[in-house]
Amino acid sequence: MKHFATAVFVLFACLSWHSTPAEAHKVITSVFVSGSAIEGEVGFSNGDMAAGALVEVFDDNGTKLGETTTDEEGFFTYVPTAKVPHIFKANLGQGHVAQAELPADDVPFDRGGSNALSWAEKPGLASDTTASPSGAEVAPAASPAAEQTAFTAQPSFDLAAFEEAQRKMIAEAVRKEVRPLQRELIAYKEKTDLQTVLGGIGYILGIFGVGFYIAARRKLKETT
Amino acid sequence: MHIVDGALSSPVVIGGALIAAGGVAVGLKKLPLERIPAAGVLSACFFVASLIHVPLGPTSVHLILNGLAGLVLGWAAFPALFVGLLLQAVFFGFGGLTVLGVNTTNIALAAVLAGVLCRPGVVRGSPFVASLWGGLAGGLAIAFTTVLVGASLALSGEAFIPAAKLVFFAHIPVIAVEAVLTGMAVYLATKVKPELFGALTPGKAI
Repeated sequence: MKHFATAVFVLFACLSWHSTPAEAHKVITSVFVSGSAIEGEVGFSNGDMAAGALVEVFDDNGTKLGETTTDEEGFFTYVPTAKVPHIFKANLGQGHVAQAELPADDVPFDRGGSNALSWAEKPGLASDTTASPSGAEVAPAASPAAEQTAFTAQPSFDLAAFEEAQRKMIAEAVRKEVRPLQRELIAYKEKTDLQTVLGGIGYILGIFGVGFYIAARRKLKETT
Repeated sequence: MHIVDGALSSPVVIGGALIAAGGVAVGLKKLPLERIPAAGVLSACFFVASLIHVPLGPTSVHLILNGLAGLVLGWAAFPALFVGLLLQAVFFGFGGLTVLGVNTTNIALAAVLAGVLCRPGVVRGSPFVASLWGGLAGGLAIAFTTVLVGASLALSGEAFIPAAKLVFFAHIPVIAVEAVLTGMAVYLATKVKPELFGALTPGKAI
């Protein structure tokens, strides 16, 4: 009998060897804006990504806007065609449904013209926004005006001269740099650590303790 | 095994919640004072078991251990597993709060059924026979759960039917692992603490 107890323990130890508490069958979806497109990831919290999954896109009324499929890393991109809230849904089977929402304000869609350029990439708009603060700054400051205007005018002039291609390159580079951070952040959010587990067990003990207390009180009342 | 928010249609969610509420009520009524600590321990077991992942080929499955709860607790498995599921949903995000009722029904009803079927064998037999019945209960509980999960998916719409069939086949390995584990646990319990299975409540046997 004694070695049966140890056998059970060894079995449990073997099982938990391969398991980190972070692994759980939970579906994770995340969407983020990337230039003029919306990028997203679908996967399970144990690190398996959902490859070749169909991602359907709906607006907030449930009207289907379009669909896309994930690549082998669970990655998908979708180019929005309207500035409405986008809801991304993917059905991974067995009751695993992934859902993520992007509010209308974040949807990178340019109402005015072609969707190829997002607002920041439009040269006219960009120089407008940099010109207006510099102008406002100059107006109240009277005496060192000449120097100030030269100083503040400089970046707006530079920005206006900035080439479209370069700006796009920087945006792409930043996106690339930030992507692993985004992933790590999502992974961190999904992490279950020992404290959480112990906290849960504590709650269970507490709940059953309260139940025990109520039951015992009832029993005492019956006997007295 | 845990169905997530948004996968089921509202009638299924509401129906599951009603059954779960009924089950919890019956379970609380049938839970004698002496059994409350056992229910708490099994609830904690269930809560932690879902974190133990068994690697299986390209993917991994996690333990559920509802068969053991059904054997020891009978109908009281409903409140015990409900508490475990509630905390899993809150702490780990397994399943979700709206589908809590459906998940409770799927897991606890299967536990109760397996317990009803296999408890007589566990109580009567020698430790070895008891462990065989225990293993059967462990496997059956998971099998019943997959059937119930499949049914709730299928009831929610046409699109889910192929997926619902998949659930059962995907969980065959879990059935095997759970059967072995529950069998061992029952063997240990009949040797160490035979009164765990129903002897405490002879009049209230389910």
